[in-house]
Amino acid sequence: MADSTLLNLVLWLPILGIVAIALLPRGRDSLVRNLSLAVMLLQLAMTAILYVHFDPSVSGLQFATNQPWIREWGIGYNIGLDGINVLLVALTAFLGPLVVAGAFSAIQKDVKLFYAMVFFIQFAMLGTFLAQDLFLFYVFWEAMLIPMFLIIGIWGGERRIYATIKFVLYTAFGSILMLAAVIYLVYSLQQRTGINSFAFVDLYGSDLPLRTQMWLLAAFGLSFAIKVPIVPLHTWLPDAHVEAPTAGSVILAGVLLKMGTYGFMKLGFPLFPEATRACTPVLMTLAVISIVYGACLALVQNDIKKIIAYSSISHLGYVMLGLVSLDLVGIQGAIVQMVSHGLVAGGLFLMVGMIYERCHTRDLAAYGGLAKLLPVFAVFFAILTLASIGLPTTSGFTGEFMALLGAFNAAWPLHEAGYDLPLVLAVIAVSGVVLGALYMLRLAQQLLFGKARAPHQPLTDLNTRERVILVAIVAAVFTIGLYPEEPLRKTELAAREYQQIVTGTALDQESLP
Amino acid sequence: MNWHDVLTAMLPEHILLAGMVLLLCLEIVSGRDRDGFFVALLTVAAAAVAACDLFAQGYAGSPFAGHFSVSPMTSLPKAAILALTLPVLLISRDDFAETRYYVLLLASLYGACLLVSSDSFLTLFLGIELMSLPVYVLVLLAFLRPESTEAALKYLVLGGAATATLLMGVSLLYGWSGSLGITAFTSALSATQPLATGGAVLVVAALLLKAAIVPFHAWAPDAYEGASVPVTAYMATVIKAGVLLAALRLFGTALVTGPMVSLLAVLPLVSMAWGNLAAIRQTSFRRMIAYSSIAHAGYLYYAFLGAGPGRYQAIVFYLIVYGVMNLLAFVALPRSVDDTRQDHLDALQGLFHRQPVAALVIAAAMLSLAGIPPLPGFAAKFLIFRNVLAAGYTTYAVLGLVASYLGIYFYLRVIQYMFMSAESPDAVRGRPRRLAFLATVLCLVPAILLSFFPGWLLDRL
Repeated sequence: MADSTLLNLVLWLPILGIVAIALLPRGRDSLVRNLSLAVMLLQLAMTAILYVHFDPSVSGLQFATNQPWIREWGIGYNIGLDGINVLLVALTAFLGPLVVAGAFSAIQKDVKLFYAMVFFIQFAMLGTFLAQDLFLFYVFWEAMLIPMFLIIGIWGGERRIYATIKFVLYTAFGSILMLAAVIYLVYSLQQRTGINSFAFVDLYGSDLPLRTQMWLLAAFGLSFAIKVPIVPLHTWLPDAHVEAPTAGSVILAGVLLKMGTYGFMKLGFPLFPEATRACTPVLMTLAVISIVYGACLALVQNDIKKIIAYSSISHLGYVMLGLVSLDLVGIQGAIVQMVSHGLVAGGLFLMVGMIYERCHTRDLAAYGGLAKLLPVFAVFFAILTLASIGLPTTSGFTGEFMALLGAFNAAWPLHEAGYDLPLVLAVIAVSGVVLGALYMLRLAQQLLFGKARAPHQPLTDLNTRERVILVAIVAAVFTIGLYPEEPLRKTELAAREYQQIVTGTALDQESLP
Repeated sequence: MNWHDVLTAMLPEHILLAGMVLLLCLEIVSGRDRDGFFVALLTVAAAAVAACDLFAQGYAGSPFAGHFSVSPMTSLPKAAILALTLPVLLISRDDFAETRYYVLLLASLYGACLLVSSDSFLTLFLGIELMSLPVYVLVLLAFLRPESTEAALKYLVLGGAATATLLMGVSLLYGWSGSLGITAFTSALSATQPLATGGAVLVVAALLLKAAIVPFHAWAPDAYEGASVPVTAYMATVIKAGVLLAALRLFGTALVTGPMVSLLAVLPLVSMAWGNLAAIRQTSFRRMIAYSSIAHAGYLYYAFLGAGPGRYQAIVFYLIVYGVMNLLAFVALPRSVDDTRQDHLDALQGLFHRQPVAALVIAAAMLSLAGIPPLPGFAAKFLIFRNVLAAGYTTYAVLGLVASYLGIYFYLRVIQYMFMSAESPDAVRGRPRRLAFLATVLCLVPAILLSFFPGWLLDRL
């Protein structure tokens, strides 16, 4: 039964999970953990069924539900899968059980509340991806703040309060301006066409004057850019990542950061296509600055978590680059890169969490030669390092390569027409790959090789639970790296539609790459 | 004047009056104070049911033509005000055993019900004064610490100033129009004569003062802090709602134009910003809520910028949501005998580990007051700003939203204290009380329903 009921069930299952946890008696921590894992696995299984039944040849929404919610304002409970969100929903469902299992030993305080919050954020993230109504989207988008605020603030490190408040204040500032833009957009739609609706489909092609589009894109864009994050709006990220517990970092890097790029792809660019085209050089420049600047910052960090945090900024720069290239390959590359980064950065944060649980420090200088001390750990870490660098056969390669290819595809005709900026930017972006290899290899070399040393020896190598988690991630990384056709097939039609909306061209005029 | 009409239309008011008389008789006859609580509770519940019934019937009539009229648009706010008083009563019993407390509270409620239905300045004034005067006494009645006297006096003096301003404005309007009907106010809004404008501005100023809008806000933090928890809860919800409903009654669906726009845009905007900023510095819970209520009064007055028809819906919805969520925080608050201690924000530290349910409930209330979805405070704020934007005040709407952003921090700080701090030595370890629990459930049910189905209420407004 792969229909809309199943999709609703996937979305609401975490809420059922919260209710179930709340009903359990106090002090039954291991029961809470196992129950949470079971619920997450059930959700993954149901998502897998939906993924398999998702028909890539059908345009538009599948398994959709559209019920009026606040009828008077034209707001509906409108959810569904399409080519853009299907992979991200799958990624969210895939990381869910890993986050839960990864926190089994790390979280000993307020276990019930912790898993309730993990469920809450899972619900809000899935809702944000699935929502096809702007009001609903905004509700889920903002609701994500609440559990993340608590996850960082309660189970985080020493400076957790500072980090979590900074995180909330940054993101909420973007959201408040987006709210103004949402209200304005819907109101102007109503004025121009008489349609009182928040549904995405009604809002696309609202055909506003360029000046208005620019303002609205700026408001939406600010909110999304903070979430991505794009330099210079990134300063909350390292603090949040460093102070968050492992589970928080994994959710943050794995899914939450994709909200920004997803927002651009689903809303920001298609809602305001003319403004997007006018702003392409600016957006591209910002993307390239994020790639290079993030990589440079990652190069000089001594905190392992900070290195991965800054690498996220760099990797998400590629996503932005692919999206603004408006080239089919680039767009698809951006989608793959989102998923790939979710897996790789999520996996790396999980591994940092594992080593932190053993040695209680994230200072890179304290480590060396872990390949001798923890051979299994070293193998997995090396694989994820290479995936992060973007070595062929890993998912990182597929994503980065396609995003860069898209950027060049888009830049070349402009270069021939005598406009060189995009080409220069694309070339600079390539240097990010080299920098990426530099900082990741520096990390791996310091951590894994050289003289064997680590605090709190003797260390025990990864246990079965940890191995299973990492095997799952590595398997996914290789699957996307070796068989990219499958995810690309699911997203192609949607990527093409996105391209058409934003470039404002019809399908038959499209020159296929 | 039809007696049947008088009886039916004013049924909620009559029930309140009967309750008051019964309480006074009880005070004389019976020595037991605890009966007063039950009588008051039943009276208010019956009055709320009566108002609901009038609304459900769609009853409309004016038993005293030109002075008092009832329609579904007055019955619903009346029912809401009465229902919001129930949780207040439930948490009152520990602080106030005397019957006179309940008499005063019912008298104040009678005033609030009267002003909602008023058609002339006479009844409006009567309603506002009847609502406010008992509260001056209620603030003093708490007398848990010396500051209560100061608070009550400040409240009384500034309330008196508001009364004088209102009367001055009304007399100017009467002189201009020769009528005591409240429609004189709306026609004065569009008039250009100085007499009319002056009268309208004075009336508005009085209402701003009563709702504690900057720069007329100074009384609120002292009064809120000086009163006891139930009285503060009552002031923050019912009194605030009463004043706003009076303003709503006066403005009707008239479009606000001319210089009145700047009065109703700038002062509320400053209130939002100042209320939210000043709340950050507070260490007392009730003072913080006072500043928060100053900011919320700003949002509410913003709604008058919007077009007439949507105004009623926006304000009544906001008042109900704000009232429910504010009360939710008050009823769940851990209580102690030492008022200064229980009021200190530090008393909330580590609350989640002592009383997880109370901490979660207060957290939900704070997030709703901050306007974070999916809690109902978001839909309420959304509605107000949508109306302001639709009326063409884009800049004011954006500035108002940014001002509301300033408030997020101090609401989050309460959550931070409850969930992220270790328990403080001053922690209040009140025993869970059955009545407070009942009050929590009474607020929690509408809070959840409003989160998931705001459309249900909006369709009825």
